[in-house]
Amino acid sequence: MTVSSGTWPKMTGSDEFRFLSDLVMTRSSADHTIVRLRDHHAGTTRFANNQVIQNVDARRGSLAVTVAFGGRHGTVGTTDFTAGAIQDVLARAERIARVSPVDPEYLPPPDPCIFPVRETAKPETLAAGPVKRLEYANEAIGHCRMENLMAAGIVSSSTTAVGIATGNGLFGYERRADAKFSLTVQAGDATGWSATAHRSIDHLKVQERTLAAIAKAKRGRSAREMPAGRYPVILEPAAVAGLWAWLIWALDAKSYVKKTSPFAGKLGQAIVDERLTLKNVPDHADLLGEGFTHEGLPSTDSLWIDQGILTQLAYDRFTAKAHGVKSIPTLEAPALSVEGPPAHSIQDLIKDTERAILVSNFWYIRPVNPRDLMLTGMTRDGTFLVEKGEVVSAVKNFRFHESPLQVFRHINMWTSPMEAVNSETGKMLVPAMALPQFHFSSVTRF
Amino acid sequence: MSDPTWDEFAELALKRIAKSGAEYADIRIQDSSTEHIEGEDCRISSVRDARDIGFGVRVLYHGAWGFAASSVLSLEEVPRVAGLAVEIARGSASVALEKVRLASEPVHRDRIVTPYRIDPFSVPLEKKTDLLLNTMEVLQRQSGIARSSASLWARRDRKLFVSTEGSHLVFDLLAGQGDCTATALHEGRFASRSFNTPHLRKGFELIEEADFLREASRVANQAVEKVKAPAVDAGQYDLVLDPEHLSLTIHESCGHPSELDRALGYEANYAGTSFLTTEKRGTFCYGSRHVNLVADNTEPETLAATGYDDDGVACQKWDIVRNGIFVGYCTNREVAPKIGESRSCGSNRADGWGNIPMVRIANIGLEPGEATREQLIADVKRGVYIEGHGSYSIDQRRYNFQFGGDAFWLIENGRRTHMLRDVIYHGITPEFWNNCDGVADRSFRRRYGFITCGKGQPGQSGWMTHAAAPARFRQVHVIRGEESS
Repeated sequence: MTVSSGTWPKMTGSDEFRFLSDLVMTRSSADHTIVRLRDHHAGTTRFANNQVIQNVDARRGSLAVTVAFGGRHGTVGTTDFTAGAIQDVLARAERIARVSPVDPEYLPPPDPCIFPVRETAKPETLAAGPVKRLEYANEAIGHCRMENLMAAGIVSSSTTAVGIATGNGLFGYERRADAKFSLTVQAGDATGWSATAHRSIDHLKVQERTLAAIAKAKRGRSAREMPAGRYPVILEPAAVAGLWAWLIWALDAKSYVKKTSPFAGKLGQAIVDERLTLKNVPDHADLLGEGFTHEGLPSTDSLWIDQGILTQLAYDRFTAKAHGVKSIPTLEAPALSVEGPPAHSIQDLIKDTERAILVSNFWYIRPVNPRDLMLTGMTRDGTFLVEKGEVVSAVKNFRFHESPLQVFRHINMWTSPMEAVNSETGKMLVPAMALPQFHFSSVTRF
Repeated sequence: MSDPTWDEFAELALKRIAKSGAEYADIRIQDSSTEHIEGEDCRISSVRDARDIGFGVRVLYHGAWGFAASSVLSLEEVPRVAGLAVEIARGSASVALEKVRLASEPVHRDRIVTPYRIDPFSVPLEKKTDLLLNTMEVLQRQSGIARSSASLWARRDRKLFVSTEGSHLVFDLLAGQGDCTATALHEGRFASRSFNTPHLRKGFELIEEADFLREASRVANQAVEKVKAPAVDAGQYDLVLDPEHLSLTIHESCGHPSELDRALGYEANYAGTSFLTTEKRGTFCYGSRHVNLVADNTEPETLAATGYDDDGVACQKWDIVRNGIFVGYCTNREVAPKIGESRSCGSNRADGWGNIPMVRIANIGLEPGEATREQLIADVKRGVYIEGHGSYSIDQRRYNFQFGGDAFWLIENGRRTHMLRDVIYHGITPEFWNNCDGVADRSFRRRYGFITCGKGQPGQSGWMTHAAAPARFRQVHVIRGEESS
């Protein structure tokens, strides 16, 4: 196999994006014009039953033009970058905007600013192609074959050129790249799982994660059924991230103002344990920070929950302006930390636990009640009973029924923040945590 | 010199592949237009119009797949991407244990066009935005309504499928949908109620036939009633489920477990596997004798009725559950032979040119019974009537599920009485379907479509329609969906 990413056509560069956006700006008759670029090239090697089942590589470049006449606006997108197509896109956007009703919440594009420059595209990830992905997939499969276990997972890498340009001179261009590895190891009825995402493909730690998933799968055999009920729990980082993702998504300021938010009236109040702090840390090497947002706002460090107190909401520009919020923070690189001395490892949390359910990950978390942020979901890929400082057996998977606003009101023990992703959330840094009580509402059959 | 035609691009790609020794290849060239208009709180918040053009080439080389795709449709890019797909397939083949063997399928040469009365893309934008603004005004006119939203969506897919076996399929497909939602506030609580037209392969007549203003008035009233309604008391209830609600129950608890690729472990790392393992086919009691679940990708206007799937297999109709017994899977040409089937049932779909097709849930519907809805309710002493979609979650083998809904009414002594709030029910899939003891007749049958069914890595959105008439389920465990439960 001789393919490398170098055989792909060059991604849209900064100068090319400036040329394309100038093409739009010089022809636009609108009061305001915004051009957005997303040129995405990604490949995934997917395996199951210890062999490759899917091996794909796709490139999609897209441009979107938004124009506004007064408060009337419209957006048209295309994957065709030819001059004629781009002029057609502008003409269609202008036609839409002219007949659209005035949007009372429309705001002109943000003022020009200098965006932070971040190392969002590591050369090793940019250079990775199907050969590298296949090599990593084979490494994971090989370990599982040796143990007579079944591997299913993915290795993926992608690079994206992202740009924003406005008629008032705002210009941003950034190359972003990331790589992902996730693996489910099947040992009969038991499964073990591990996953990561990183700007550097060299940071996937395929061997280490594969061995961890294998150990979990082997330990998960002969799961016993325990009754539903309230138990102390140890949540591994992926499980913590799954719950916190829903808390983060609920921070929308407009819902807060309209009183349709679970946080209504709670800004400035304690919402979780007073030792918990949530920040945006876009410069952290293990997070997927970005230089700017889709709206053309810079991504910067910000504080969202300070020692348990809700200090920040996720503002759209209109709501921010209406409430005098000058600087709109972003939360694409969340880091959750706990004040105080951490346990050294998850194993130390186990060692200091009398009795608890150890949860590797949650699956299919969905809101039950948006008023109190009650969530439901299932444990998945490694649920265990801990007694007297040891994992004593695997247990069958539970459905839970809990609100993060309740369960994180008090935490017993924690580790330092660790990298965490799961199948439905982006990447975060969160600690593993031991919580005094967690409501498992029913049990499933495996 | 005129631009090359799609047929010429396809020929170029397949010629490039022919030299490689691959046993099979196909190319899909697609041009998709989407219009999405969204309103929020009595304003039009977004009008977006997007065109997505590109092609994807799939190659089977020595029993292993390679796929490459690009949005640059040019004389240079098409053969290059075709060559890349071959190279990727060679890489896959170098580590293949079990070779892919495709079920045979006749060669098809056809053109499929969605019939429509009104082209949604030709309807003036002002007419659409007026409809949404008027709808939101009606929603907000109701005292107690704090927020409103409304939207319209339309999509046209023009597609060419050409395979090395000689199939040549041209598609011009339409789909559309519209909806509105009211959110009511009362004593610090809030609750929403929605009206949704089904997603169907119809023109703008789908929107015109739905009386948005009347529906807006109804859902606004019901949102206010819902937010003030008493919370349900936890316990065992008989449930009568309306077709829109059942469409999601069918999707999650029957649709996904009947995907053969899941049962074979292909999705073990993400969407999950299936409790409907292959040895259960033909013997497993999935539901009661009232439960007949039929996959029908030939029913006009439904989302999966596209004439042919992305394997080039003709759309078909088949049984998933017959008289309560699990009898059939959704398959594609790759997995059908693994359970001894000589032909795929035609459920292989990609969500666009940029993704490789995979097994997708078909248009699976619950066959009507013989009762009326009122007869189903009349035989309930203590129960809940549920409409629409709410909270939903199910385990990775599709056993343990939990569903909410959009609106709930208490049934007492055979009569639907007042609304309830915060109703959540949960159960184990086959136990739940075995507790089904009645389905309403065909006159109550309705169809609801899904366009955001997530599966695959990289993730893809699947489209399918689930039809049902109201059905009754005995002694289901109901809990209250709030903190104190």
